Amino acid sequence: METRERSATRAIVPAGQQGLAVRSAALVARGLRDLTRDSNWIVKKIFAGHTSSLAISSMGHACFVSRQFRRAGEYGTGDFGQRVVLYDMEMNTPMIALSVPNEAAVGTQDLPATFAWSPGARYLVAAWGGWQSALHSFDLHGKMFLGTFGEFGVIPRCLVWSGTEKYFVEACSGGKGASLRLWRVRDDGMSPKGPLSGQPTSELSVPGWLERQTYESEFGEEGAFGGYGQTAFSPDEKTLASVIEIHGDWADDSIALLAVPTLKKQNAFQAQGHITDLSWTHDGRKIIYCAAGQAYSLAVETMNFELLPFGAELCVCHPHLPLCICYSSWLKNSAKGRLFLVDLHRMEVLDEYPAEGVVILRWNGEGSKAYAATQSGMAYIYEPTLL
Amino acid sequence: MTLKTTISHAKPEERELARKREEQSTLEIELAERELRSANLRAEMGAFERRYLHFVGLRYAVLDDLKAEIAERLAREQPKNERLQRLARIARAGANETKSSAGENTKDEPAAFESSAEMKRLYREVAKRVHPDLTSDREDRTKRQQLMAEANEAYERGDESKLLRILTEYECSPEAVQGEGAGAELIRVIRRISQARGRLSEIEAEMQELLRSDLYQLKSRLDEAQQHGRDVLKEMIEKVEEQIAQANRRLER
Repeated sequence: METRERSATRAIVPAGQQGLAVRSAALVARGLRDLTRDSNWIVKKIFAGHTSSLAISSMGHACFVSRQFRRAGEYGTGDFGQRVVLYDMEMNTPMIALSVPNEAAVGTQDLPATFAWSPGARYLVAAWGGWQSALHSFDLHGKMFLGTFGEFGVIPRCLVWSGTEKYFVEACSGGKGASLRLWRVRDDGMSPKGPLSGQPTSELSVPGWLERQTYESEFGEEGAFGGYGQTAFSPDEKTLASVIEIHGDWADDSIALLAVPTLKKQNAFQAQGHITDLSWTHDGRKIIYCAAGQAYSLAVETMNFELLPFGAELCVCHPHLPLCICYSSWLKNSAKGRLFLVDLHRMEVLDEYPAEGVVILRWNGEGSKAYAATQSGMAYIYEPTLL
Repeated sequence: MTLKTTISHAKPEERELARKREEQSTLEIELAERELRSANLRAEMGAFERRYLHFVGLRYAVLDDLKAEIAERLAREQPKNERLQRLARIARAGANETKSSAGENTKDEPAAFESSAEMKRLYREVAKRVHPDLTSDREDRTKRQQLMAEANEAYERGDESKLLRILTEYECSPEAVQGEGAGAELIRVIRRISQARGRLSEIEAEMQELLRSDLYQLKSRLDEAQQHGRDVLKEMIEKVEEQIAQANRRLER
């Protein structure tokens, strides 16, 4: 008499069908993702409130100043003050709050800040009014504060790494006290203070080649030298383009082309109006810049400029394609502005998306995505299908 | 003579066997019903998946192939640019993967799954008679597993005659003959009941897994939109077609 069940197999679903579902899983997930969006832009909220400055890494990590709160029962409840924090825009998760030794509590006042991620998103250099007046460097892989370098009088306007992390530059405004300082990045991994420390390799204060009346006039007055603004390394890291800011509503800024690492002047170009952003094209032949809400192209070799057929206040060129992501605060028949992609060969505007208050744009490392964010915490991720 | 009378004059193990047989019978019906629901869901999702891959998946494959061509062209234009060479390789690998996932392009348009009342009745009957969890005999169970798998495939294909054949074949097979004493039979019935209950839990878990899957999420979104008069599958096709056109324009430059 056999009463014992010997077979353990209970599957009655044909195996072939399960195999099909597994095989198509990626395509189904892709369809589901494409179904939930009506454009190549994905919009999300990354923080509440307002921040004075933020930076986005090539991996989609945002760095900004945020107000922190204690949780109930945790050494009193309420406002903890402000902290510099990191947020993963892709994963929608807060990452870390950056802290430095002997950090004093910072109240609710909106203090200026400037941040710069290294191209590989490992290092972050930060300047914030809540810390001592020096550049603070962090290693995000090791989650370490590395130290300070480059003491400053006023919070820098712009901090930039070169494409292969060979150089780092700090651009400061402040009239007579303005400076442009360049560091050669150490890549030997030997210094406990990280790849950036010590004195700058080269430094430029008031450019000697400016017209005398510009730099000798009373600072703060119309037409006087205001300092260095947006700055960008050429793709080959041999030239630095830096905006020379001139005070006054009707004054015109200039773009200085400086040799790297000496910061010796190679060329200069006077724009029309104040320059709000500039970016080198992937081949290093042109600089796309935005002045007084209009986009222009400047040929580096001839210094001839060209008015582009669209307005923009921010622009960032693709790392290896003739494309540029732009933001303009003006959109026809709308109170909002717009984010858009420009094909620089055909001068065709693509993938326009309404957005307002955007303060930063950047491409990811491979150029397959772009990120934009506002001071009020809205993040826009551009995920085109063709890049 | 009624069942009650029979039971009252029977031995205790025979009375217990009769009760357990009743319980088994109820479970057989429930199991058949659940298997039918599960088979329906799998068949619907299978049919939807085939339609999705046919209409959208194959277009994704075309799009990814064009993207790889664009990346390869850029890489050829700048042979010393290591990054472009790497991106081209990644794009080609991605295109190959999409092509393999989307499957072959067939001339016939895959149809949505539909099941007639007769098909459902036949499937229920097969599940009740042939279900592998309703036997304790090892050889019979193996035979039933094979037949049940064939029944599932036949149901998915809408093959009514095959379902009928499975049912007839099993009814005529020696495995359908039952016998031996009440004690042994009681143990067998108890074990069948236990197996049936186990299978019911498995069906529930399988259904939950299917309902949580991306494929089901996608299908329900499309079904929901269809109820409001929107053909989302068509919209998805148009969107991918537009991307294919963009890619072609870029390649033509």
